[in-house]
Amino acid sequence: MRAWKAVLLIDLALIVGVGWGYAFWGLRATRFQRELAEAQAAAASGIERQWVVDGVVRAIFPELGVIVLTHGDIEGYMPAMTMGFRVASPRVQESVAVGDAVRFTLKGVLPNVAVTAIEKIK
Amino acid sequence: MIVMAGRSDRPTAQRWERRVLAWAWGCTLVALASGLVVVGAQAALFEDRPAAAFDARAIGRMLLETQSGHVWLVRAGFLVLLAAFLSLRMSVERRADWRAARGQAVLLGIAALVPLAAAGHAAAVEPDTARAITLDALHVLGAGIWVGGLVPLALLLRAASTDAGADARPYAVLAARSFSRAALGVILLLVITGTTLAITHVGSVAGLVGTSYGRLLLAKLTLLVLILVLATLNRSVLLGRLGGDGPTIGRPAMRRLGGFVIVEAILALAIIAIVAAMSVTPPARHQPPFWPFSFRLSLAALDGRTVEATRALIGSQVAVIGLVALITGIALRAWRLPLGMVALAFLGAGAGLALPPLAIDAYPTTYLRPSVPYQAGAITAGAALYQASCAPCHGPRGAGDGPAGRNLPRSPADLRAPHTAQHTAGDLFWWISHGIAGSGMPGFETQLDEEQRWELINYLRALSAGYAARGVGATIERDRRWLVAPDFAFTVGPTPARALKDYRGRTVLLVLYALPGSRARMTHIAEREGTLATLGVEVIAVPIDADPQAIRHLGPDPRIMFPVVTEGAETIVATYRMFAVAPHVEFLIDRQGYIRAVTRSGGEAGDLDALMTQVKQLNEEKIATEAAPEEHVH
Repeated sequence: MRAWKAVLLIDLALIVGVGWGYAFWGLRATRFQRELAEAQAAAASGIERQWVVDGVVRAIFPELGVIVLTHGDIEGYMPAMTMGFRVASPRVQESVAVGDAVRFTLKGVLPNVAVTAIEKIK
Repeated sequence: MIVMAGRSDRPTAQRWERRVLAWAWGCTLVALASGLVVVGAQAALFEDRPAAAFDARAIGRMLLETQSGHVWLVRAGFLVLLAAFLSLRMSVERRADWRAARGQAVLLGIAALVPLAAAGHAAAVEPDTARAITLDALHVLGAGIWVGGLVPLALLLRAASTDAGADARPYAVLAARSFSRAALGVILLLVITGTTLAITHVGSVAGLVGTSYGRLLLAKLTLLVLILVLATLNRSVLLGRLGGDGPTIGRPAMRRLGGFVIVEAILALAIIAIVAAMSVTPPARHQPPFWPFSFRLSLAALDGRTVEATRALIGSQVAVIGLVALITGIALRAWRLPLGMVALAFLGAGAGLALPPLAIDAYPTTYLRPSVPYQAGAITAGAALYQASCAPCHGPRGAGDGPAGRNLPRSPADLRAPHTAQHTAGDLFWWISHGIAGSGMPGFETQLDEEQRWELINYLRALSAGYAARGVGATIERDRRWLVAPDFAFTVGPTPARALKDYRGRTVLLVLYALPGSRARMTHIAEREGTLATLGVEVIAVPIDADPQAIRHLGPDPRIMFPVVTEGAETIVATYRMFAVAPHVEFLIDRQGYIRAVTRSGGEAGDLDALMTQVKQLNEEKIATEAAPEEHVH
């Protein structure tokens, strides 16, 4: 065989091999990522979850059944921020006042969550 | 090199070609072997135990899980291919075969060499990693072509200058010429990519002369200049003679050129050794530079000194004339020597005139960057140190009027003065550490540790900034950013700590309030908070009395949703009161972290529309992509 043909063959084999390997690996990686995302989404939705978070009471809207809390990180739901939450029953917000440092329980199926319990800390 | 020289039928040339190929094969094996050593060493480094170098699992982890491991795998793969390819005995009688075989070898060589760029310092450059890697790859490729060509060229010249090799002489002459041409282009490429990379990795003159990386680079440049001088001489003197009459001119020239090329190759090897040292040295940008000279040049030296400024201006013009003369001299062949002399004279005179007025005293620590950030905690810590160690002479407010300073040889400096622009934080660090000879300023190196000295410097910076901030009013000055808002940390109730820095990219209204005076204003802000939020303003309220029950005392009506600091208020108030003192103060901090407007009041409800107008103006400004303010040195 002529040398240039041999070289061409080797190069072609190399390109095809690398390309095939990359495509195979890339496809598997994307599939894996998609499955992971699906699994995460499945884990996050449809199941009742519960968080216990620290925060400060900033405002109370008894007529709306809403309490505004400056809270820490709520894992898998939202980062630390000031935000209004529905309360499960009016009794929940009666025990606290604006400015209280509290530990509250958030419970529900995303995105329908509500504060089910709240207690003063410190 | 073989590809550059082209194919030849002459026996000597073919013998040379075989010899170079054998060399290349040997070098590939050496590269593979040294690669194995490196991989072991790296595994030991990553695992932080020497035994990992011989631990197959540790090596496997290193190869599969790190970028340098991936690069090593790719390179080793290509090296194995190259070695295998070079050991093939192929018939290359025909031109196409020859081209394919040699071209393939070159391609494999390039493929094995270039990925090196992705495992070096360039891969750690942020942002623009891809750009740095590309530049580094080009640099490595250029260096490979050039240095790799030197030894074969020398071998060829040697072979062709002997009696037996006379048949290959025309071939050698052509090869030398084409190498010379290619080398010129490659050197240009190396200089351009090298300069860009140096700017990325070194960044400053202080980094170049003050760090080990910078000094290695200087050593590399010195060797390079030597090589270039040698190469220029070779090119202009010997290259032309090569084609001359065989025994009398051509052959001796060829032998001498071969010798010089060997010298160049040895120097190039020394450069590669330096590069190896550089690759394991942290780039200058990430190292504290030590300034080796007792002065530095800065335009700030001319502030308010008309005579010196004029002198510097005239000097710079003279130097420009010299530069023009130099360029003309290079362009014109005939007048090169006289014009060059004139140019050098003008350049020297210009530098002599312009540079001395620009000189400012400098110290080894001049370009040292503060290791403590410009942060409220550090500033208040510095303030306490100041009152204990500095206030007796420099005065409680830094005016240089302390009682103990009256009898000193030189009166203590007014630390609020704007001349701090001439002094870097590193200068202050030196003075605080070692004192100022003959002035009465003592050194505090033994009394304050390094962190305390930097805290003190942060306090001094805030002191002089605060003094300058007296003139900042309630309206912003368009595109004038100079007053850096010191960073601070705070918490709201039992939530995680936040920092002012986290709000970068949004406008912040920092409100220092005191009840009951501020009640009306706080109510007004709370009512309009929604509008402020729409404009991208985040309000942070800080009680001046640092009350931990601040939220409770503000009460449920009106509803206040913005952060009210319950922890950390003390340091924030202490720091920001250096900038403005009033019963109620509001700082408008722009998206880049600069204080742009300061409103001092008694806490009356006031007019929030005026504030909105300022915010709208801030929003119209373009955000420059400059460094964050806490990275500024002074």
